[in-house]
Amino acid sequence: MSLFAPAMTHLARMDAQTVLTYRVNFGLHLLGRLLQIYLLKVVWTAVYAGQAEVDGVSLATLIAYLTLANLQTWFIYPEAVDVFPNRVRSGAVALDLVRPLGLLPQLIARSLGRTFAVTLLVGASLPIVALVGSLRPPASAEAAGLYLVATVLAYGITLAIGIMLALTSFWTLETSGVGVLFLFVNQFFAGALIPLWFFPDWLRTVAELLPFQTQAFLPLSLYFGRLQGGDALHALGVEVLWFGLLWIAAIVVWRRAIRRVHIQGG
Amino acid sequence: MSEPILRVANLVKEFRTPRRAPGLVGSVRTLFTREQNVVRAVDGISFEVAPGELVGYVGRNGAGKSTTIKMLTGILVPTSGEVLVDGLVPWRDRVRNALNIGVVFGQRTSLWWDLPLVESLELIKRLYRMSDADYRRELDRVVELLELAELLPTPVRQLSLGQRMRGDLAAAILYRPRVLYLDEPTVGVDVLAKERIRSFIAEMNRTDGTTVMLTTHDLRDVERLCRRLILIEQGRIAFDGRVDELKARYSMDRQLVVDIPDHGGPVVLSGAEEVRREGPRVWLRFDPRKTPAASLVAELASRYAVADLVIEEIDLEDVVRRIFVEQSGTRT
Repeated sequence: MSLFAPAMTHLARMDAQTVLTYRVNFGLHLLGRLLQIYLLKVVWTAVYAGQAEVDGVSLATLIAYLTLANLQTWFIYPEAVDVFPNRVRSGAVALDLVRPLGLLPQLIARSLGRTFAVTLLVGASLPIVALVGSLRPPASAEAAGLYLVATVLAYGITLAIGIMLALTSFWTLETSGVGVLFLFVNQFFAGALIPLWFFPDWLRTVAELLPFQTQAFLPLSLYFGRLQGGDALHALGVEVLWFGLLWIAAIVVWRRAIRRVHIQGG
Repeated sequence: MSEPILRVANLVKEFRTPRRAPGLVGSVRTLFTREQNVVRAVDGISFEVAPGELVGYVGRNGAGKSTTIKMLTGILVPTSGEVLVDGLVPWRDRVRNALNIGVVFGQRTSLWWDLPLVESLELIKRLYRMSDADYRRELDRVVELLELAELLPTPVRQLSLGQRMRGDLAAAILYRPRVLYLDEPTVGVDVLAKERIRSFIAEMNRTDGTTVMLTTHDLRDVERLCRRLILIEQGRIAFDGRVDELKARYSMDRQLVVDIPDHGGPVVLSGAEEVRREGPRVWLRFDPRKTPAASLVAELASRYAVADLVIEEIDLEDVVRRIFVEQSGTRT
């Protein structure tokens, strides 16, 4: 692995630089996110209708939760889902496959680079985000630590899902549909629109059986101190489990995909 | 021949695609059937290449050239047959094989579109684990040979096609691979840039002894660079031998395309043979060293009511077609 580290670091840097060249693109995306945060705030304020708390969740906590959840699903979003299928469709993936670095390490490095750049830009726009939504520090130092660990795991989990979806393009040659489906399912079950606290029991059970909650709901529950002690460890355990399972699955899918490679174009 | 660096034996690649009926109804039906078309893109190819050879790998669109290259580079897994590149099975030892080879696909770029060219070369340095000293030395060399000095700080998207291709060549050669695969490196490039690319390839081959497989459908690339040529047609090898031999046999020939309305039978002329016919149009082939064009045209005009005629040089397609006619007698 150490042999590949310099190449992976450089790949990550190059993709980070690429993101930073497209600042208008970022600005538009930011605008969309801000709009979503604002609308969620308006709707949820109306739903609360002046009540201080619903199911033990104050409106202020909820708005801060939704604001962070929307940032979280943004910088964790696996770009591979969008970028890679296009490379398969156009045949450019041939060039990825002749590099002396496996395709998975390449995807991981590039994804990390993009996330790094997006995180920088998101960090720079936090003042505006705070104005439109609301921000609040973590409940405690312990909550902050747990949140960080959970977010790193969530990043790995989402990346594994993204890579698996991206690799399906070797079979189907079209994954924009898969990408859109992922976007909906992901946003909803991550709890970026409605926290899982407010899901009816059966739906909550479904959400807890899916990996998507690890992306926003679990880390933010830790952040706001709503999961503590044993519950917090249980949440981390769930993330570790998903992390392991999904990466094993991603590697299995990759091994099969590579035998199916069917390069487009001359 | 010394120990070959490339060994290809009975190589076959089949592609399966869902059978599509035409039209909207057909498209809908395709969704529900499992019928498949099997296409043999490469159909039993065998050849060997010695270290330091510069081989032209030529054929028409869809003949199987690129598919072969993709199996040699380890991108595609063959349906059957063997490939050994410098002792490695490319798709099984993908990463180790990648360290030995350089690849340029003329239709695509391996360079980072939005970043200065030098960034992509820096990536090459790290991917191929070059030391700082090696990198500096090799970079200086390719910068000089390919005249890249001014292009290094330029974002790749601002480069012309010819400049970009030079950048791609630099990226493919920087680490001195033993084998270089060039898949249509001159496609779409202007004449001057083509010449610069050709002389660079010749230089690499001469000074480093780099083995080169050059895929092209520009026969001038082959004439300029290769001593050996492999012609491929419908997934099979139609010719494998010396370029000068092939040239001696065919390339001096000319083609006379003539329109003779109201004439159904064969066109008989001394010193020319009919190779094709479509309606009133007839294609005749002749060797101008034996039969001067003027006397041929005179004879033609005296015997037939010629509406129009044109004399053409024979292109690659004709050479390939002719070789096939000679070899099988039936396939055209």
